[in-house]
Amino acid sequence: MDQQVRIGELTLSNPVLAASGTFGYGLEYEGFFELSRLGGICTKGLSLLPRAGNPPPRIRETAAGMLNAIGLANIGVEAFCKDKLPRLRELGATVVPNLFATSIEDFVALTERLDREEGIAAIEVNISCPNVTKGGLEFGVDPTAAAAVTRAVRKATRHQVWVKLSPEAGRVADVARACEEAGAHALSAINTIRGLSIDVETWRPHLANRTGGLSGPAIKPIAVRMVWEVCKAVRIPVIGVGGIVSANDAIEFLLAGASAVQVGSASFRDPLATIKVADGIRAYCERKGLAASELTGKALLD
Amino acid sequence: MERLDKHRGNARQVVVPLVRRDSIGASHHVLTFEFETALEASAGQFAMVRGASWGESPFLPRPMSLLSGGKRPSILVKVVGEGTRRLAASEPGDMFSVLAPLGRPWSPCPSERTPLLVAGGVGVCPLLFLARSLTEQGHRSIALYGGRCSTDLALDEELGAESDLRLATEDGSLGVMGRVTVLLEKALAETRGRAKIYACGPEPMMAAVVRLAREAKVPCEVSLETVMACGYGVCLGCAVPKVDGGFLYACSDGACVDGYLIDWDK
Repeated sequence: MDQQVRIGELTLSNPVLAASGTFGYGLEYEGFFELSRLGGICTKGLSLLPRAGNPPPRIRETAAGMLNAIGLANIGVEAFCKDKLPRLRELGATVVPNLFATSIEDFVALTERLDREEGIAAIEVNISCPNVTKGGLEFGVDPTAAAAVTRAVRKATRHQVWVKLSPEAGRVADVARACEEAGAHALSAINTIRGLSIDVETWRPHLANRTGGLSGPAIKPIAVRMVWEVCKAVRIPVIGVGGIVSANDAIEFLLAGASAVQVGSASFRDPLATIKVADGIRAYCERKGLAASELTGKALLD
Repeated sequence: MERLDKHRGNARQVVVPLVRRDSIGASHHVLTFEFETALEASAGQFAMVRGASWGESPFLPRPMSLLSGGKRPSILVKVVGEGTRRLAASEPGDMFSVLAPLGRPWSPCPSERTPLLVAGGVGVCPLLFLARSLTEQGHRSIALYGGRCSTDLALDEELGAESDLRLATEDGSLGVMGRVTVLLEKALAETRGRAKIYACGPEPMMAAVVRLAREAKVPCEVSLETVMACGYGVCLGCAVPKVDGGFLYACSDGACVDGYLIDWDK
């Protein structure tokens, strides 16, 4: 059955993308499988200048998931364009750079830099990183600020613009609507949820950053609920993300209304997780006699 | 610093059975897996290991230094938490997902230098692998192995078979009483600057070893052990502070790195 899905003006070969922050710059997986087999690759969050990230400890395993506070360590947009993008193009990967900045001006500068590049399917605007002191959540929890970033980025590029939403917005549907009105072509939901884990012997937090973003199967039901709410609130496509480790997990998101999905932390424990999810969705579609795009919004929730 | 992408390129994920569990006391266990095709691993490399039956918790695989490669690769497990407890409780026939070989191996020892292997507790694992490789290459190494008590020195006989072995325990239950650094001071004097140190153990131990290496002007490599989610350079969870600022990553810049590069005070 047909696995293609449409996200705005973009057609993906299948509904499975790699989530930002769990797939490096894509090339780390070159030895594991052909990157062109994925619906797309959302890169590690890119900033204007390289970032070293937070001091360790940066990660902590939790029940059915993990906390991370990497702090957006990345090579910077220039190095990405020079050292990673040419090879990704060569491999036929569908590339979605994920962008992070602490001000609207920097978001625009980043976007303009990427606008000069070919071989970019869309850009994903990260207004939802919980692990940086400035710029992450500030934009993501306030509809007005989220809209301002979205509008500015839209104006600065010919590329498709996706906005990655935070589950920490009081009413995520309001932020979603604001981004749609500001011109977003699609929304990714959700980023991680802030959590805290404490060492009972030392009485100190397990992470140097104190709090970290919770990911993994533990957050999946929250993510599916939020995707459902966002899908009801907007008409643009929604990409579901949060705790997917299997095809069935991914299908839940599609049924809740998502047009595509991103597989995140599952890639850490299994470098082939994204491909396995894609294969599983294909098998499910064969069994049901449906195209992948026909699954979107089929859940009986009314 | 050059990242060893080629090592990650060799890594493959297999689901393999455990064929042996050799328990050494209550807390140390050597697990041996059976591979269909031999695992081509070098001393100092590691594997990400996860039980096929673990479900969603523990969520992540565990980074485990390899004791050997080949058709029957093995690891040394010391129980420190839930993941290692599960590993230690596993039985022959249990299936595991193993991603290996990962990380940068130990660098070769120049022929004019004596390899000085400094092991602390469970840190013996990559050093026993190294001692065996060095023996095969015709290098005789001096191995120094320390722990709090005799039960920490789980593989002393195996290491002794491959090297000139000296032991130290803090309680004096085996070898000399004191820390492994006492043995190192003596070995450094003996080798008179013509040694290369390879160290793996708890962080304070490695910091002390690097300090002594610096005083003696002897090269010193360490094998880093940190928490990791992926083992191949994407989670960025295994950051280790560098002397000149920034971080290196234990999984892809290491596991084995020049100990002089690390900021041991942070």
